Amino acid sequence: MSEHNHEHHVSTAGQLWAVATALFILTIITVVVAKFISIPPPFDVITAISIALVKAFLVAAFFMNLYWDTKFNTILLFMAVAFFILMISITLLDTMYRNDVVPSF
Amino acid sequence: MANHSTSHPTHVQHHFVDSDQQFDTAKLGMWVFLVNEILFFGGLFCAYIVYRAWYPELFQMAALELNTFWGAVNTVVLIGSSLTVAMAIRSAQKNQMKGLKINLLITIALAVVFMVIKGFEYAHKFELGIFPGDFYTYEGLDHPQANVFFGIYYMLTGVHALHVLIGIGLIFWIYLRARKGEFNSEYYTPVEITGLYWHLVDLIWIFLFPLLYLIE
Repeated sequence: MSEHNHEHHVSTAGQLWAVATALFILTIITVVVAKFISIPPPFDVITAISIALVKAFLVAAFFMNLYWDTKFNTILLFMAVAFFILMISITLLDTMYRNDVVPSF
Repeated sequence: MANHSTSHPTHVQHHFVDSDQQFDTAKLGMWVFLVNEILFFGGLFCAYIVYRAWYPELFQMAALELNTFWGAVNTVVLIGSSLTVAMAIRSAQKNQMKGLKINLLITIALAVVFMVIKGFEYAHKFELGIFPGDFYTYEGLDHPQANVFFGIYYMLTGVHALHVLIGIGLIFWIYLRARKGEFNSEYYTPVEITGLYWHLVDLIWIFLFPLLYLIE
């Protein structure tokens, strides 16, 4: 936002409640979808993770204030996510292509 | 030696240009720590992903041992506590010290509720003999690697619960400082920083809940 650098953003109580309400509703949706609507795999996992990502976006953007914060903090968060994806990708390249899973693992 | 301006507010340490620079620096430092935290939990999530790829049927069977209702209640409790932390920061920004203290106390109460529910869930599993690793004695799951799922479950939820406990301690410390009148709309950096930590604890749970409890 084009706010003056020296003023911190103050969210209104209504904004914070709106974000929390959205998070509550998304929690109900994810439970209902998982327990009462049978989506064939792998789309059940994709749906659950997508809803979790939307919730994570709401928390990071509006509770952690990244939406109004300096962009550098957002870059840090994306760096963390990027390195996490790198970590699981390289690990799966190993574990998914083994002929024998290590015994007792 | 630099000349110390007498117009500096007392909370600004002498190596910062002004209050805003100090605030932004503290926040940047916290975000670097949160990156560290995300990758720390990332290792555990990585173990989850590898084992789920190896034994998808185990994860579906074992998830039925987890109580979705209490998991969902804990999700709502943690989101509520994130809301009250955000409200506490808002109160500090608006110089409403009473609101700050009340919101911090509600946050602590919600965090304790989370831990109590988690405690009951663990106690129930221990009664059944569902312990991590070699101590696993439960007979109800017909899978040779059943203990592996619960090893991952206990590590993920246990490390998360440890973060909740540390969070309770931190928020109580912020509450004590608020009671001493250390914060105002010009200086509330520790409230903001602790809030960021608490939101991350909430964020981790937002992923843990569907991944552990909602696999059908």
